[in-house]
Amino acid sequence: MAIRLTTIAVAILITALCGCKATPPTKTEKTVVTFVKHHFTIRNKSEKNPLAATPATIADGKEAFSHYCVTCHGTDGQNTGVPFADQMSPPIPSLASLDVQSYTDGQLKRVIDDGIWPSGMPASKGTLSDDEIWSIVVFLRHLPPIGTQSEQEMYTH
Amino acid sequence: MKRRLIPFVSSTLLFCALGLVGRSAETQGVSKQVEVVATRFAFTPADITLKKGQPVVLLLKSPDVAHGLRFRELNLDVKIPAKGSAEMRFTPNKNGDFVGHCSVFCGSGHGAMTLTLHVVE
Repeated sequence: MAIRLTTIAVAILITALCGCKATPPTKTEKTVVTFVKHHFTIRNKSEKNPLAATPATIADGKEAFSHYCVTCHGTDGQNTGVPFADQMSPPIPSLASLDVQSYTDGQLKRVIDDGIWPSGMPASKGTLSDDEIWSIVVFLRHLPPIGTQSEQEMYTH
Repeated sequence: MKRRLIPFVSSTLLFCALGLVGRSAETQGVSKQVEVVATRFAFTPADITLKKGQPVVLLLKSPDVAHGLRFRELNLDVKIPAKGSAEMRFTPNKNGDFVGHCSVFCGSGHGAMTLTLHVVE
């Protein structure tokens, strides 16, 4: 009982200190979190992509990416046309950024499989097949230039 | 006696001829047909055993939304329309287990929707 009360009290304190407002992370927060993710929390560094980077696989990845990843990442993977990309906390990163591209293929697979907490990135294991997820990883390595893809209809009317 | 013999002989001949046709069709490789129902989020049956070299027709039916069946290793991909059907024709030419996935996004369990072909000698 005492432990439960302490947990609730700590949760209330954290909420009071942090607030619920979605604000952009500070530079320090960003640096620390990026370091922790790259080196500790996002594992599976060594797993290799079983799919070769061929035009057909890139097309497969683009197609799989279009199922729902585009809702937050845009059709170009660089947030183009996504109205809330900068309003989230943490903001949605451009998948062409060095932060994302410096993950190994295995880490990108893990991120898509399990999502990232705390962020809006959901887990896709079971919703997408391994084959589709690996093809998305290939697509992420071959993203089209920013703004060259048609924007999603839901954001243009 | 003659009248009795003629129908007997002709029916025997016909029977043999049909048997020969059947045998020759078998040696040419008659297609094995398997009906597969694709629903959110499973193929039924989910495992099929096939003989190497024997032509196969998978009769794919979907009572709900659009689905697909893709075997990347076998270079096969067929789309099944919503509440419709489609056929996948092929002849397996290598032994092993081949896992096919739904190739049309159909919802939250789409990624776990698989069908395994066991190809044996």
